[in-house]
Amino acid sequence: MTDKISELLQGIEGLVTLPDVFIRINKLVEDPDSTAAGIAQAVSQDPSFTVRLLRVANSPFYGFSSTIDTVSRAVTVIGTKQIRNLALSTSVARTFAGLPNDLVSMENFWRHSLYCALIARILARQIRRCDAEAVFTAGLLHDIGELVIFNRLPEQAKESLLLVLDSGDELPVYQAEQQVMGFDHAQLGGELARQWNLPPMLQECIAFHHDIQKAQQYPLEAAVVHIANILALMAEVGTLDTDDVSPIDPHAWEVTGLDADEVIVASVQEAREEIAEAEKLFLGN
Amino acid sequence: MALPPESRLPLALPGFEHVRRGWHNAFDAYAARLLPGEYYVTPHNEGVYTTLGSCISACIRDRVTGIGGMNHFMLPASASGDKDGWKSTSLSSATRYGNFAMEHLINVILKNGGQRQNLEVKLFGGGRIMKNMTDIGMRNISFARDYLQTEGLRVTSEDVGDIFPRMVVFFPATGKVRVKRLRSLHNNTIAAQETQYLGSIEDKPVSGDVELF
Repeated sequence: MTDKISELLQGIEGLVTLPDVFIRINKLVEDPDSTAAGIAQAVSQDPSFTVRLLRVANSPFYGFSSTIDTVSRAVTVIGTKQIRNLALSTSVARTFAGLPNDLVSMENFWRHSLYCALIARILARQIRRCDAEAVFTAGLLHDIGELVIFNRLPEQAKESLLLVLDSGDELPVYQAEQQVMGFDHAQLGGELARQWNLPPMLQECIAFHHDIQKAQQYPLEAAVVHIANILALMAEVGTLDTDDVSPIDPHAWEVTGLDADEVIVASVQEAREEIAEAEKLFLGN
Repeated sequence: MALPPESRLPLALPGFEHVRRGWHNAFDAYAARLLPGEYYVTPHNEGVYTTLGSCISACIRDRVTGIGGMNHFMLPASASGDKDGWKSTSLSSATRYGNFAMEHLINVILKNGGQRQNLEVKLFGGGRIMKNMTDIGMRNISFARDYLQTEGLRVTSEDVGDIFPRMVVFFPATGKVRVKRLRSLHNNTIAAQETQYLGSIEDKPVSGDVELF
């Protein structure tokens, strides 16, 4: 299983690479000696990210009361860790544009991911000690393994989706993938995140969003992304009935302490209100 | 009429032996899986299900005896390439496949004890699942509605149009239907199945051997 995954990931080297600006910021954030000024400088070296960062910082997405017109102010107000997340979030659609496929349009793929990101953020704000902005990024990245599978193994990916349809949409996609390929998109995406040295929280959320009990260090964040993924399906097809989508692991409610009756309808509706604006910020050019 | 749920795979009516059927935990019943162009009629308490993009399914049953079934079809595009062609010169060739699908379903129900005056119809599908395509779903919906109106058959419920693919499961014995909108991840797979089916009917000669009733 792991051999197959490493082989697939070797095949995409060169097709998808993390943006330099993220790699630089990532190093700086991990370095205890780095300063906010150093991070601001790293941001400024990438004019296109600078524009995207200031656009997000001044959008209703953050809702800061004053205008943020310089990179150094953005770093101070938003925080260095969150700048790192944004370097990833605002470039992820471009990063994976090198993996086109015939099974899902990029527009539909990223809309689901963005719904998951928005809902993860909404849920995390109601949980103590859960970084809402970090799980937003996790939500946006949770299905990246799918794009690798669709691009590298189109026939098996198609076979998996046909199994799902033949089951009357009862068999979850990741289980169909396991049946056909012996591994699923979550495992593959988790391994990609590990090879890329993404923050461990992102690695666990991506790898375990279908299997949250395996999350060792970040069970809370993995549980948030798990719930958000299912609620994103509801937002996508425009339903408020949980019977219309895959079941949520009851363990996720225990870990997060969230009350299903209180959060489901509200967060799905809120995400549907936010999606158009968020698409412009994160998936636009 | 409340039939007990079948505890083993019920016998298929003659002509339907090839339709794939199996037990489904989700439906808690045996169910037949329809692909584009297929139909299935049953006098038993079993389900019929399919996944629909721009294709349409009519679910028809005799509300007294409970016999009924489902079809799954679409109209081929106009052979002339004229965008209004299906309305004018090619009307008969385009709609004959629709007529064929509807008449087969109704006739088999009637032949197995259904009464025309007891028939009730539910209509599903015709979604516009591919963004940059002409709205072939709407054409299929219009055809089905017109057909049913002409035949004097009442549509008791429908869920048609919009942008979503659908999974529909129908239990003729009880009239129960469940429609589930499918996520966009399935759009292309479903569209490919339907395109393949369309190719297979367009390859047939227009003045072919389709038996009209």
